[in-house]
Amino acid sequence: MPIIVSESTGERGRKDARRHREKQKEAIKDRLPEIISNESIITQRKGKVVKIPIRSIDIPHFKPGTGDELPSGMGQGDGSMGDIIGKKKLPNGGEPGEAGQEPGEDYIETEIPIEELIEMMLEDLGLPRLEEKEIENITIELGWKIAGKSKSGIWPLLDSRATAKEGMKRFWSFLRFLESETSQDELTCFKALKQSGGILDEALELIRNDQISAQSDKVEPFPIFTNEDLRYRKIKEDVQEQSRAVIIAMMDVSGSMGKLKKYLASSMLWWLVRFLENKYQQVKIRFIAHHTIARVVSEEDFFGIVESGGTSCYTAYEKANGLIESEYPPESWNIYVWHFSDGEDWDTGKTVEELRKLLAKGVNMVGYGEIKPEEGYSSRPRRPNDLWDVFKENFSLKELKLKQSADMEIMVTDELPLLCVLIESREHILPALKTFLKKDRWAR
Amino acid sequence: MTKQELRRLDEIENRVREIAIEWGLLTTETIFEVVTAQRVLEGMAYEFPTNFSHWSFGRDYEKYRTIYENTGRGIPYEQVWNFDVPRAFLVETNPLALNAMVIAHVYGHVDFFLGSRYLQHGRSMSYVAEEARNAAARFAKYEEKYGEKAVERIIDAGMSIRWHQHPDPFFEEQDEETVREQLLALERAKLERFRDLKSEFKKKETQKEIEKAERRLEWLASKTPPEPTYDILNYITKKSPKPLKPWMVDVLTVIRNQSRALSPNRRTKMLDEGWATYWHVRIMRRLFEEKMLTEKEHGVFNDFHSGVTHENKRQFNWYRIGLVLLEDVEERWNKGRFGREYDQERNHAKRLSWDTNVGLGRQKIFEIRSFYSDRMAVEEFFTDDFIREQKLYIWVGVPDGNEIIYVIGEDDPEEIRKELKALMSTYGIPIVKVENGNHNQNGHLYLKHIFTGSDLDPTYRNATLANIFQLWGRKVLLETMVDRKDTLVACEMEGKQVKIKTEK
Repeated sequence: MPIIVSESTGERGRKDARRHREKQKEAIKDRLPEIISNESIITQRKGKVVKIPIRSIDIPHFKPGTGDELPSGMGQGDGSMGDIIGKKKLPNGGEPGEAGQEPGEDYIETEIPIEELIEMMLEDLGLPRLEEKEIENITIELGWKIAGKSKSGIWPLLDSRATAKEGMKRFWSFLRFLESETSQDELTCFKALKQSGGILDEALELIRNDQISAQSDKVEPFPIFTNEDLRYRKIKEDVQEQSRAVIIAMMDVSGSMGKLKKYLASSMLWWLVRFLENKYQQVKIRFIAHHTIARVVSEEDFFGIVESGGTSCYTAYEKANGLIESEYPPESWNIYVWHFSDGEDWDTGKTVEELRKLLAKGVNMVGYGEIKPEEGYSSRPRRPNDLWDVFKENFSLKELKLKQSADMEIMVTDELPLLCVLIESREHILPALKTFLKKDRWAR
Repeated sequence: MTKQELRRLDEIENRVREIAIEWGLLTTETIFEVVTAQRVLEGMAYEFPTNFSHWSFGRDYEKYRTIYENTGRGIPYEQVWNFDVPRAFLVETNPLALNAMVIAHVYGHVDFFLGSRYLQHGRSMSYVAEEARNAAARFAKYEEKYGEKAVERIIDAGMSIRWHQHPDPFFEEQDEETVREQLLALERAKLERFRDLKSEFKKKETQKEIEKAERRLEWLASKTPPEPTYDILNYITKKSPKPLKPWMVDVLTVIRNQSRALSPNRRTKMLDEGWATYWHVRIMRRLFEEKMLTEKEHGVFNDFHSGVTHENKRQFNWYRIGLVLLEDVEERWNKGRFGREYDQERNHAKRLSWDTNVGLGRQKIFEIRSFYSDRMAVEEFFTDDFIREQKLYIWVGVPDGNEIIYVIGEDDPEEIRKELKALMSTYGIPIVKVENGNHNQNGHLYLKHIFTGSDLDPTYRNATLANIFQLWGRKVLLETMVDRKDTLVACEMEGKQVKIKTEK
């Protein structure tokens, strides 16, 4: 007979599709600097997922082109030269000309939880010099916790509910298959399936050879398993960092902070805050916005503030000192003070003075990010009385250029927990975050 | 599918074969397998009924499945392999009229497989399907033993250069030593001739020629490959100094064999699909006349048929274009609209009513089926009239803010023909040859890109070189053009990283 009904085969397609998705994730990792500097992420900050365009992965091969030509092809239909035959919206306002690092086909938009992005970008990072303080300062191991489900694992972790669900699905699909295959009624097919112990081929044989001996007066579904169906619980060591820490996040919101500068500063702080929330249970974050005067504000106000006027940075440091004295004694708190400004300061002398006070208190770290975008209307050359150079001189900091991190400049010293980072472009956001959160800095 | 339906389909299949034979189509035993839609989607993605695991197949599978499940379009109807015993899929959930159409369509394909000189060749490769099935199990063992990542890296690298074969699909690659012996014999014969001349003339130039030939002999004795080769994957598999482990050689050999078996299909895609569509239309018409299928089923068939042959604004629908091309040729040859007299007739009205009643149409299209590749068909039958009637054009996508706007950029028949011919001579695969496998006497691999008007996409180029480096293990060089300048791109290990360097 030339027409045959073939037996079903395993599902290779799904497994290989999963691997493709994994590869897409790897590709996302490579594009993180570009993805996280996307403004729309931090403006939709209430959301838990980020929409990002990703491409399906292509096998690299020699192909004609320069990599930036306009797409083109052949078509058929009405119209003459210059007529528009169609339109396509680009995902997330992305630029089509932007060449990727990896060969890939068309962009599609996919959703990724912010949590997952943070995990990808800030692996192995953490607060530097985090110390055990007086109280509640121990790391408690809580044993193991269930973290999702996976398709492979050990028997004791078999998740019987999830597995059973797959098994039931299979039962019904087998039953329907037998019915359509043999044109027998449901009950007969059920009996055969029961007798064969859920083995489809055998059940089919039983019906065809009229050998059903199982007795039943109604269909009683039972789960049928194949290895593919088994769902195991994934476990993860459950550790909670209980060291207490406070982050004092300070941002310059004066008139000289143009749109791009403000964006770079808030983007840095936004990701830092998200990271800390994700990683530490016991972290308090306080927000100080300043121009010529400084105010302690809520997170919402902090990121939403539009201000103008001149700049006196010392007011922010003064406020930080006050906060520490009144609420966060260094004996029982790990203290991190992070400040982002464009470096324009009316009274650098006073700022240095306040910073000295802060360091004398024994804070764990002071991080300063100077925002100096190379492009944009708000750009101006570095001036000798900007905070960057003032800090450099007063605290004998060493200037370093990080070749691996888009040539970003930083200043550090072994003597003091003071770190300065010069942020000149969107590409610097990720390396700057990594610099701020280098766990082993100042480690003795 | 119920038993009754299966029985009906069996009758239809029998009748379709009888009709096909009556009309002079070649037939052979053909297996139709009733399967799930998923199975067909897998078959489409994996290129063979069963094949080894790879993420690129998974990606395509998911793409097809998404289209199928979410849009209801892209119903997988037709999947037939050019094997010794051709094998086709019928989807159990497809309506009967559609499955009947698929059977008729497949009979068209089977005739093409048996009659086209390109695909006759492909048939001799049908062992590759068996090999693919066995490879699936073998590669899974390799994954267990050497790790999934390690196997994936080799498959990735092999797939990267899989289409770089000899441009002539009939060319049988010879063993390197055989080629070397042939070249050496030629050179020796030349030398003999010079030696004779020397005794007579003892000219200085002759002496020079002799030295040149002697040098070449010496060079040829150790040169690898003795002659530049297009079959990059084959060369690397056999000659890599890495050296490749037996399982890697196995993986690469399977990939090469599959690509060799599949590539003749690319040369006749338009004609093959056009031919099968041409015949399914006629066979189905007969089945309806003979009441093998009902009125209602006629409607179902019409829907699917017009779906298959619709005009596509941004893509060439080869089913449609192949079909109309064959019908156009059949009409022209029936009415004698060919030859010098017709070509020189400039009177439009006369051309339109031209009919000499020679009735050579069928004969002509059978000739096309037997001897033509797509490229030849375009050259000969894509006349200005045909291109205009079919409203063919080239579009460009112009970015505009958040959108891409697709605009007709060219509708000159001459340009369209040129573009199509270019497309059909290389199939988008640039010509790259292995020049030297022992470059700098250091085991470096020297590749040469034959420039035919376009640079190589740099991102893809570099990633491909990195993949070749995976297999070769030593420096890989590529001579190419960048912005009209000769450029040498090198790929080698620096520290622990693979580095690409460009020299102008």
